[in-house]
Amino acid sequence: MFQKSTHEEPTYTPIQPKVPVYEDEYEDDDEDTVETVVGPSVHVEGDFASEGDIIVKGTVSGNVKTSRQLRVEAGAKVYASVHAGSAIISGSVEGDVTTTGKLEINATAIIAGDITCDILAVAAGARIHGKIMMEGVDIASAKSNKKRTLGRVSPKKKEDDGVDA
Amino acid sequence: MYIYLYDNFLRQKKYDATVKAMEQRLTDFGIAGKIIRLQTFTSSDAIIAEEIRRGAKTVVIVGDDTTFGHVLSRAASHEATFGFLPIGPQTSIASVLGIPVGVDACEVLSKRRKLNLDVGWFNNRFFINQLHISPAKVSVTYDERFTVSTKNAMLELVVCNLQPFVWRDGGKKQVDVHPQDAKLEAFLRPVVGKSLFGKYEYEEPSIFPFEEMIVKSKKAFEVIADGKRSKEVNVKIKLAKNRIQMIVGKERQF
Repeated sequence: MFQKSTHEEPTYTPIQPKVPVYEDEYEDDDEDTVETVVGPSVHVEGDFASEGDIIVKGTVSGNVKTSRQLRVEAGAKVYASVHAGSAIISGSVEGDVTTTGKLEINATAIIAGDITCDILAVAAGARIHGKIMMEGVDIASAKSNKKRTLGRVSPKKKEDDGVDA
Repeated sequence: MYIYLYDNFLRQKKYDATVKAMEQRLTDFGIAGKIIRLQTFTSSDAIIAEEIRRGAKTVVIVGDDTTFGHVLSRAASHEATFGFLPIGPQTSIASVLGIPVGVDACEVLSKRRKLNLDVGWFNNRFFINQLHISPAKVSVTYDERFTVSTKNAMLELVVCNLQPFVWRDGGKKQVDVHPQDAKLEAFLRPVVGKSLFGKYEYEEPSIFPFEEMIVKSKKAFEVIADGKRSKEVNVKIKLAKNRIQMIVGKERQF
């Protein structure tokens, strides 16, 4: 009778407001901070520029420009020139590719156009049809080297000719 | 000077205690003001314009997300500071703004931590949180520079400004948005089919930050802007940069 009551006070936990979900309930947490994404079945037509990262999974018919990173995923197609801070190409690009930083060309990539970049990484299996231009290569010294090499080759060739005669 | 716009549903008995406690706390803080009860056909825009003319500097919306969206859809054009005291069934915007639900919201209001927030503008009205276009055959043009189309005819479009876009794809996926980034974010999801229960199934969303967008269709499509539904055939959505000054909490999500 005089025992301490074991009855516990009911505790109330405030109901947390829910953020509307556009489908069913969800289980785990995964945050995405990507700026611009072109989905797999989406077709973008026109000049496409962004100040943030761009991921292309679908098709883009028009110039793509960003000062940050561009990712062209496997199966994606870009039909125009591309300007980016850095780029990872796994899909197909029919146009010139220009990056101020690193350009990574993966094995599934197909590029039909000239490439201008600072750092280049090409995986085995990638297909490229075009010129590759990089900063830090002195064209004048390259030409003189070529001449020197030619100069060395020609007398040898004459010698060979003499033996044959 | 403060004015308080009470939603009509706060007349219900179950909210009496909370409302009384709030009013008491506001008096304690010395920020009590004129109370105006919104009716179904009350024009909050006209009321706010009149009260600002009489010297009101702070307009406080008391109610839920619907009240918040309804008042700001017209009132965002006024030069006043807006506050929010969330009470009611749906108060998800409050958590984004860092405002606790119920009496504790008065403390946030009294601290007057003010931020300028972007809002969206579409067909002659504002939206602050989200604009949702139900799956329809629409064409989308962004910033008059590029158009977006899809192999699948129908697509869903959600424009977010305040709350993050959340969708399910094997698990929760979420993209946070920022109401001060001078951009609105459009999330576009092509419909890939229908489930056995008749629900639409979507492809992963394409994301486009933008300042101006035009959505067109030959048939009328449904637009839900901050909970208000309408039927449109041509929608122009624009960013109104730093349009409203809002009192927010320290725990805000941006």
